[in-house]
Order: sequence, then C-alpha cells, then structure tokens
Amino acid sequence: MNKPIVLFLTVVSAFYLSGCGNSDKTDESESTEAAKTEEVKSDVGSETFFQVPSPGEMLTFIKMVGGQNNKNVSFLNPASNQKNYSDSKSKALNFGIYSCDLSYCSIFEIGAEALKYFKVVKVLGDQIGVSTAIKPELLKRIETNISVPESLAIITDDVYFSSFEALEDGKQGPTLALVVAGGWLESIYIAVNLAKYEANSPIVERLADQKYTLENLIEYLKKHEADQGVAGVKADFESLLAIFNSIKEQEAKKTVKNKNPKEATLEGGTELVMTKDNFLSIVEKINTIRNSYTLTK
Amino acid sequence: MKYFLILIVSLTSFVAISQSGVCGNYHRKYCKMDEEKGNSGWQYNAQSKSGLFNQGMISKLRCVIYKNMDYRISVCCETEIGEAVNYKIFDSRTNELLFDNKSADDSQVFEFQSVATRQLIIEVMVPQGATEKDKHKATNAACVGLLIEHKLTDKQGFSNY
Repeated sequence: MNKPIVLFLTVVSAFYLSGCGNSDKTDESESTEAAKTEEVKSDVGSETFFQVPSPGEMLTFIKMVGGQNNKNVSFLNPASNQKNYSDSKSKALNFGIYSCDLSYCSIFEIGAEALKYFKVVKVLGDQIGVSTAIKPELLKRIETNISVPESLAIITDDVYFSSFEALEDGKQGPTLALVVAGGWLESIYIAVNLAKYEANSPIVERLADQKYTLENLIEYLKKHEADQGVAGVKADFESLLAIFNSIKEQEAKKTVKNKNPKEATLEGGTELVMTKDNFLSIVEKINTIRNSYTLTK
Repeated sequence: MKYFLILIVSLTSFVAISQSGVCGNYHRKYCKMDEEKGNSGWQYNAQSKSGLFNQGMISKLRCVIYKNMDYRISVCCETEIGEAVNYKIFDSRTNELLFDNKSADDSQVFEFQSVATRQLIIEVMVPQGATEKDKHKATNAACVGLLIEHKLTDKQGFSNY
C-alpha cells in the first residue's frame, strides 16, 4: 500500500473512531427526549426507552380532582435555600425540584410565588448549563401573564421542556437524569402534602400508581449510574420502590368511566390497593429523601 | 483500495445515523397537536418521543398510562414512509398484545382508555424499503415521531378530595 493511502486511512480512521467515541453520548441525548428514558439493548436491532410523565401532569391531575382552591406554599422548597446548593448533584436535583415548585405555583394560580421560583430556576439553570433555555425575556412573559394561570402554566411548561432539550443538546445525561428525578420526587412530595389518606381518593390512587413511574425512572437512572450522584439517587429510589412493592395488587375492575364511543378500551391489568400503613410509610420515606436533597431540616 | 472505499462509505453512513438532533423533537414539530385536530382538552404528554429509524429497525418505548384518563397516540413520520410505520402496544408485565395498527387499517392514531393504570410497551417498526434518500441522513433512515396526548376523562373529579 502506498504512503498517501496509508496516511489518508489513518486520518479517516482517527476521525471515525473519535466519532464512535461520541456516539454513546449521542444516543444518550436521543434517549432522553421529553421526560425520562433509558435505552437498553434487549435484542439485536431493538432497544427500549423508559419514559417518565412530567411533574406538571401529576400537579394538573391533583388540581382537576379537587385541589383547585389550594394556595398553600409552605411545603415548597424555600427559594432562599438555593444558595446552599454548591455541588453539581444538588444543583441538578434542586433545579428539578424548583422547576416542579414553579409548575405548582403556575398551575395553582399563585402568581407572585411563580415569579420568585422562576428567578431561582433561572439562577440554577445558568449554573447547570441550560441558560439558553431560560431566556431573560421569559421573566417578562411571566410578569405579563401573572394573573393568567393558563398562560403561566404554558410558559413554565416551556421552561421545563426547553431545559430538557438544552441538556440533551449539551449531552449532559447524568444532569438530565438528576433533574428528572428531582422533578418527579417533588411532584410526589407536593401530592402527599396536599392529600390526606382516604381509601378511594383519586390522589391516593394516583400516588399508589407512582410505583410504575418509579420503576421506569429507576431503569432510566441505571443508564447513568456510573455517575456517583445518579447512583446515590438510584439507591434512594430503590429503597422507596421497596415500600411501593408492599402495596397489594388486585384484579382491575372492568368498568370504564364516561367512555367516548370512538375510544378503545384496554381491558385487564391490576390495580394497587394502598392501605393507610402503606401511605404513611411512603410519605415518611418521600419526606426523608426529599428533605435530604433540599437540605431541609 | 476498493475495500477501503467500501469501509469509508460504511463509516460515513454510521456517523450520519448516529447524529443527534436530526429527529430529536420531530414529534413536536410534525405530529399534529390537539388544536390542529379540532378536539378540545388534549394535553401534550412528556412521554412522547422521536427517533431516527433504519429500515427494519424496531424500537420500544415503555410508558405509564393511568386509569380514568383518555389517551391518544399518534405516529407520524417523514412523507417518504407515508403510512408504512407499524406499531404495536403491549402490556409490559404480561406481554399481552393490546393493539396492532396493522389490524386497524394501518391507522396512525389510536385513542383509548384503560381500566387500569399500567406500563405499556409501544413497539414501533419501519419496514424494509420504506425510506428514501435525504441529504441529512443515511439513505436507509427516516425520522419517526410518537406523540402521546392525554386528558382527564370528563366528570371524574371533585368528589373525594
């Protein structure tokens, strides 16, 4: 083989090998679309992505099933705590937590607090690398729409999803995993602070169903567990899942409410029956984990 | 020399396929959202996803759907594929097949309600021969978006809170 060809191939090989090195991160970026995900090669030519609903979905549900008059913000992570988060793990986790608090204030129409939480989200967002997603003009939009809850909720959704995209584009998989984990945890923390135990409460039922979301979230965290911060959160969430696993399952009732005739019905499945003991154990564990992340005594 | 050229061409295809951002937000840009469909109340579900698919590639997405909610799943893809994308929905625990768009006239939209909260596996496949050339992607790849929307089933709340 002559020298020019050898030289050419060496350069090309080096280029593509470096490309291969990045491809993991590229896949990682793709896999974290929206709220969640891990990719697992389950067989040749097939992969599975694990998705997690956004915190806003849980909060909107709580509002719609009866909590619309709630204006309590006493249990949110105080904005003043932000200065205590100095390491990358606590910054990412609390970015997720504060983003959820911001959603809560928007969805529950607590405009002045939303403004406060937006500012904290902006500060932490700049620190974890999503400054491009949270542009200063958003503050103006929030101020303009402070008394228009629908618009406020849309704006805060934009903040959440834009941050996701920025972290994906920046190939910050572990940071994104921690943000997702913080957001999910805070939504559950808010739920347990708003709900009291009643056997047939839709919120208690939805809380029990978080077992399935938690399973997905743990699978997603596994992808990034090489990161020490993510590994710690995964361990915490596995201990929470152990408590969720003690909830009894029973065959689902075959009734469907107010069914649209155009819709299909997915039959079968099981439902989780949360007892008061289950509920109290879960609440205690969620409080412990969440307060350890927010550094709340 | 011929073999080296083949190697280089193959590597070029690989890198093109693994480029990020080619399809990242495809479902948000190209799948028709609620307002375009003329129905009210549907909300974007964060479990939606897009990806770059090779011909013959199967990709699975595990999501959570809640009881007493209405869901709408829309699959959209680049025009070259048309309606060639197949998708199936399984219960992730039992692997029971719950829906196959092939048995519903290749419908790209599926509306449903579930009697139980459950994890679903949505399996998406782009058949062989379904894609065409594009300057940004490998010749055998195309963007596919999976849009999930949800809404609370009417008249369900305000009772137990």
